[in-house]
Amino acid sequence: MMLKTMRTLFGTSALVAGLALAGAAVAAELRTNIPADPGMIDPITYSELVAGDVLGNVYEGFIGLDADGNVVPALATSWEAHDDNLGFTFHLREGVKFHSGRDFTAADVKYTFEQLLIPGNRGGLNASYLDPIVGAQAVKDGTTETLEGVTVVDDHTLDVRFTTPDVLFPIYPFYFMDSGIVEEHGPEWFNSVSAGTGPFRFEAWDRGQEVRLSAHEDYWGGAPEIDGVRFIIVPTGDTAVSMYEAGELDLVYAADTAIRRILVDDQFEGQRITAPAAQVQYIGMNSNLYEPFKDPRVREAVCLSFDRQAMIEGLYDGAAFPLYGQITPGVAGYNPDFPAIPYNPERARELMAEAGYPGGEGLPPVKMQTTEPNRNLHLYLASQFQEILGMPVEVEIVERGGHIRAMNAGEVPFFHWGWSAGYPDALYFLSQMWYGPSPYNRGRWQNDEYDALIEQAQQTPDEQERYKLYHAAENVLMGEFGTCGTTMRMQVAVKKPNVEGVALTPFRFLPFADVTIAE
Amino acid sequence: MIGYAMRRLVGLVGVWFIAIVLTFVAVQFVPGDPIMALLSDRSGDPVLEARLRADYGLDRPLPVQFLDYLGNIANGSFGLSFRYAGTPVIEVIAGGLLITPMLALLAITLAVGLGVLLGIVAAVRQNTWADTAVILGLVTGVSIPNFALSAFLVWFLSIKAGLLPVAGWGRPEQLVLPLIVLVVPPTAYIARLTRTYMLEVLNQDYIRTARAKGLRERLVIWRHALRNTLVPLLTTVGIIFGGLLSGTFVVETIFNIPGLGRLAIESIFARDYPVTMTIVLLFTVFYSLINLAVDLAYAALDPRIRLTGGAG
Repeated sequence: MMLKTMRTLFGTSALVAGLALAGAAVAAELRTNIPADPGMIDPITYSELVAGDVLGNVYEGFIGLDADGNVVPALATSWEAHDDNLGFTFHLREGVKFHSGRDFTAADVKYTFEQLLIPGNRGGLNASYLDPIVGAQAVKDGTTETLEGVTVVDDHTLDVRFTTPDVLFPIYPFYFMDSGIVEEHGPEWFNSVSAGTGPFRFEAWDRGQEVRLSAHEDYWGGAPEIDGVRFIIVPTGDTAVSMYEAGELDLVYAADTAIRRILVDDQFEGQRITAPAAQVQYIGMNSNLYEPFKDPRVREAVCLSFDRQAMIEGLYDGAAFPLYGQITPGVAGYNPDFPAIPYNPERARELMAEAGYPGGEGLPPVKMQTTEPNRNLHLYLASQFQEILGMPVEVEIVERGGHIRAMNAGEVPFFHWGWSAGYPDALYFLSQMWYGPSPYNRGRWQNDEYDALIEQAQQTPDEQERYKLYHAAENVLMGEFGTCGTTMRMQVAVKKPNVEGVALTPFRFLPFADVTIAE
Repeated sequence: MIGYAMRRLVGLVGVWFIAIVLTFVAVQFVPGDPIMALLSDRSGDPVLEARLRADYGLDRPLPVQFLDYLGNIANGSFGLSFRYAGTPVIEVIAGGLLITPMLALLAITLAVGLGVLLGIVAAVRQNTWADTAVILGLVTGVSIPNFALSAFLVWFLSIKAGLLPVAGWGRPEQLVLPLIVLVVPPTAYIARLTRTYMLEVLNQDYIRTARAKGLRERLVIWRHALRNTLVPLLTTVGIIFGGLLSGTFVVETIFNIPGLGRLAIESIFARDYPVTMTIVLLFTVFYSLINLAVDLAYAALDPRIRLTGGAG
């Protein structure tokens, strides 16, 4: 054991030393940071952000995003909804090569779906998108390994049938994998080879140090100009920025205290990249647990009692944007005309008086529950509600896992929390956060008209029609102040002036396919 | 001597077992449910929850879980990591397993060498400018917190002067800054002790005798005085090593060294309890082994200890 570890240790050191020497010859590698080791490196068990940062460069799905966050075709060039709305026919891109050199075909898509569902494989995030497919449950139960509802029509045509309509299916962020790889390299293939079609192939993962990718010369979108990407594992934001300043990193996605350092320091002028995150931050007001929240005037008063600009400057060091509705920009279906909710303490006081609580008279006490990192935010909110509305608000700090469980169970009367989009469509927010039957309707706001609009949207494949339904639903929700948006997190990155072609979308970086590094 | 070593080793096994029990019990008292933390936003999914609980054996009664824990230690896997789903803890920590003890041993060697040297210089030149300079340096060295020193060194030597890499691991020059930060406080501590012990020894009768019989000052200091200074100093090395191990937490995090210290911090934030527990156990083992080595060296130097078997 000890000996093996010794060898690993010295092997790694020798490898890194070797790389440093080789570094002179391969000049054009993009060096960027990730905050931890990826949780996994294969597209089947994939289920967390850091792994997504890496795997997004190696694997692709039906669609991709452009620099503005719009959906663009990737491995599917087009698709049609079935007439009964219970399925899609996909036309897959021709001439796409896997990293192994094999052609990408419809059989690989079917294979990927099956692998995600087979119980022993611990299918991750992407497995949950397959639920509506005919026969998915049978594969999940382990009775068969063949997914009945997916038919390979020919090499580049795939037919998918559903038990219930799912108009968003084409935009789910799947990672299709090479169906020949397991047979060739065994079940632990992902430690040694790459099984995607993306612009970069997986080369190596030195745990605790870095993940290396190299350019996929046969990439269907054209071979990348850079030779590869090195994701260097740097847990501390400040260390990453120092490494950037010393020229050890070309691109840094900033975290924690590093965000402020980048925003205030003039030397980063012209090197900063910012974008809002696709995350709704909102106020949850559970009227089952706090009687006054049953009155929409009280909810409106709450929404008028905090100052978004003060929050952005005071709590986030400027790294945030105001948010009013429940859809963030850069997510399909966003309504750019959604009206701003002003900070208006006078009106808030009037509303409380109209609702029968003048100056907070007669309001029972209420607890805002949250986690340690959100303490200051909640103290600010609580003090505003206390001062302006006369609401006796107390802040309670609890452990994160328990807090999320309690919110999901509808046990938290009053909170501020966030919900990040898993794919670029507003239905993600609207159907998960506020739809009545959703297990994540944490505020337990419920409205039949809203639920009907969401159900209609879920069966409307036409995008423009669907977006209209989103806007109508958002208006119902916001019209009676079921909640209100507060702020959106600002993603902050810095890149060296000689690096071009990096795009930061509301869903983090695009794959680095178009990046160039000048000498 | 061998009998004494064996007795101590048996005692250590007892210490390790207590550490195993304590880590297991401590995790039971950590607020929150690890599976809920793992599920995070998806804690509304009872099927997934049940699957994870079964995967990690958390659906079993506590005594059985403890036996599982012992079994996982015995088979060398140390159980499964929460964050790196399905990966044995040993695979997660293998890369860092030797980095931290290596750093700490290197640092303590340097600290003892430098500290003793500085302490002697200060003692021999008591109340001269050299003594004052050393004392001033020592006070500064003990007073500056390691994270502040790190930040200053990185800013000055790496970013401004461009002399050394900011962070990383694998090349010799990446070792310089972390070692400086690790070595400064124990060096200061050892130097201060050496100076005190040395001054005490230099007032002893046998030193006066040595000088009286005409021995050169160099021999008096290095042969007669130093040896007797080293004995009490040795006992403190164990304590200093403990401080160094905890220093690696900060240093490895700031300088991005993939050792156990950085991994410990990461696993704590990620609520990867099995990894945290394993690292705590390993640190207990390192610390107790160093103390054993110190005690053995002490016994070798001082026959009274190995005869009575006491001290410790």
